[in-house]
Amino acid sequence: MKTLRAVMTVMRKELRDIFRDRRTLVLALGLSPLLTPILIIGLGTLGESRARSQIEKPLELPVVGREHAPNLIAWLEGQNVVIKAPPKDIEAAIANQDEDVILRIGPEFAQQWRKSLPAPLEIIQDSTRQDAQIPVQRLQGLLSGYGGQTGSLRLLARGVSPGTATAIQIRRTDLATPEAQRGRMLSFILPYFLIIAAFLGGASLILDATAGERERQSLEPLLATPAARGAIVSGKIAAACMLALISLLLTLLAFKLGALLSPTVGRQMEVSFPAIARLVLILLPMVFIGTTLLTYLAASAKSMKEAQSHMTWLMLLPMLPTIVLLVNPVKTQMWQFAVPFLSQNQLILKVVRGEVITAAQWALYLVAGFGLAGLLWFAATRRYQQEQLAISG
Amino acid sequence: MILVDDLHKSFTAKKVTVKAVDGVSFEARDGEITGLLGPNGAGKTTTLRMLYTLMKPESGKVLVDGIDVATDPERVRRVLGVLPDARGVYKRLTARENIAYFGELHGLDAATIAERTERLSRALNMQDFLDRRTEGFSQGQRTKTAIARALVHDPRNVILDEPTNGLDVMTTRGLREFLKQLRGEGRCVVFSSHIMQEVAALCDRIVIIARGQVVASGSADELRALTGQDNLEDAFVKAIGSEEGLHA
Repeated sequence: MKTLRAVMTVMRKELRDIFRDRRTLVLALGLSPLLTPILIIGLGTLGESRARSQIEKPLELPVVGREHAPNLIAWLEGQNVVIKAPPKDIEAAIANQDEDVILRIGPEFAQQWRKSLPAPLEIIQDSTRQDAQIPVQRLQGLLSGYGGQTGSLRLLARGVSPGTATAIQIRRTDLATPEAQRGRMLSFILPYFLIIAAFLGGASLILDATAGERERQSLEPLLATPAARGAIVSGKIAAACMLALISLLLTLLAFKLGALLSPTVGRQMEVSFPAIARLVLILLPMVFIGTTLLTYLAASAKSMKEAQSHMTWLMLLPMLPTIVLLVNPVKTQMWQFAVPFLSQNQLILKVVRGEVITAAQWALYLVAGFGLAGLLWFAATRRYQQEQLAISG
Repeated sequence: MILVDDLHKSFTAKKVTVKAVDGVSFEARDGEITGLLGPNGAGKTTTLRMLYTLMKPESGKVLVDGIDVATDPERVRRVLGVLPDARGVYKRLTARENIAYFGELHGLDAATIAERTERLSRALNMQDFLDRRTEGFSQGQRTKTAIARALVHDPRNVILDEPTNGLDVMTTRGLREFLKQLRGEGRCVVFSSHIMQEVAALCDRIVIIARGQVVASGSADELRALTGQDNLEDAFVKAIGSEEGLHA
């Protein structure tokens, strides 16, 4: 009871303190809710409109040696392709990104064609360029279509069924839900932004209230009051968690608002209120883990500067699972729901893609998440028991 | 009433162990001002930190109003008012809010806090700046705020670490009067200083500390008699064995 009162007193004071520090507050509360939706909505809209324009716009295609295959050129022009004169230096044009893709028709093309032998064509591209992928795929599709069509006609002319030459027929059935397909673009950045908002949302407050308080020499008088050290540090953690939670809720509401305003994102993501409630529940352990970890680190730091320099690697930490999954994609397995960052990443994606999270997954996740937070809280309060903590300078 | 018996404390930094306090004993009675006098680095602050439970002594005993610091530090902190060496105030809170925060941590209700704040602000003459945020306060205003905050729970025992450090003459005089007032109310006041004149002017009992040890103690008269010097300044120099700490 006495301890709880001390926790509440410290929490109220820390919140009052930060709410009077307008600039820090605006940065802590406003930045993430403002920037994250803008970034994601912007990226989503940009990506979609670019893809659409690359698919629907006439494909501008520089062709080297167009005189060797006039029929092919005529056919391509009938397929929404605009044939251009080739640049002087082909390799330089690709390297400088002046052209996305160039088609080269060799002088032997006509000869081979007439003999009904495979006629060589060359597609010149830079496979590492993301934005050239759609034009290259379009061209490949068109050329193989032309090849198939001509091949069938040749077989028919020789009295053979074109089916004879087609030993197998491949048909793709994509079982990804429509929501999952839409969410693909966002699947890399959205979890990261949300996890960061939860993980480091209380950073400004907790660093100031621990390392900062020590540096400003007000920790020693505070520890001379009868309030238990555990209660004092818990009050500070509670205040920082409140701040992080407010920041997180504002970010999620900004998403909701953004989704209402931008039809693109609304179609790409599941942003109903039940989905948002699930996201809050997923990120709640992250709020506690981040704040207690920062408290632990800041309590061991000799100065505010040292405490702040931890932020660099803490910012990278939530990115690790995304990077690992990118390099080494693995199937969703039960153990993943116990690994911090990875579990949040997976669960957020499940919610956004409209997939079901089973009760067992929820249970494992919440026990592991809150368990780690509890462990870190215990470590942070232990740190506060240390004698040298209070002595500044 | 504070009883200190044979305190020891050492620090190890970079494999070098320094004995900061090496057998300090003294008694501070109620209704008296006890001054710890010693040059910088003599071990005064470390001794006081062990009194207000911030540090644990390696050996030795401290009793505050009969309560053992080692067994019940929380109860000790309830009967102690402490102005530590570090006296930072929260700059985004007003002086009144700074005081109220500590009052709440002592478990006082709002009415009691308001009444004590009123009394302390009159005694310390801080009405002018009581409701201003402490950002931009002068050293004197900050010290007054820190003292008021340390005494909001009306403690029987008051410990002040170098309270007049960095204060101007008028503020120092005001503070001395305030300490005498505390003594008049029957409290046990312990303060540390490296300024001999100040200790001589104020203290009923002087404990001279040098190199972590008590080298002499008693009233000003007793110290003069003990060292065989007529002048307290000479007595001090003789006691600590050097001239450091004389410069006010």
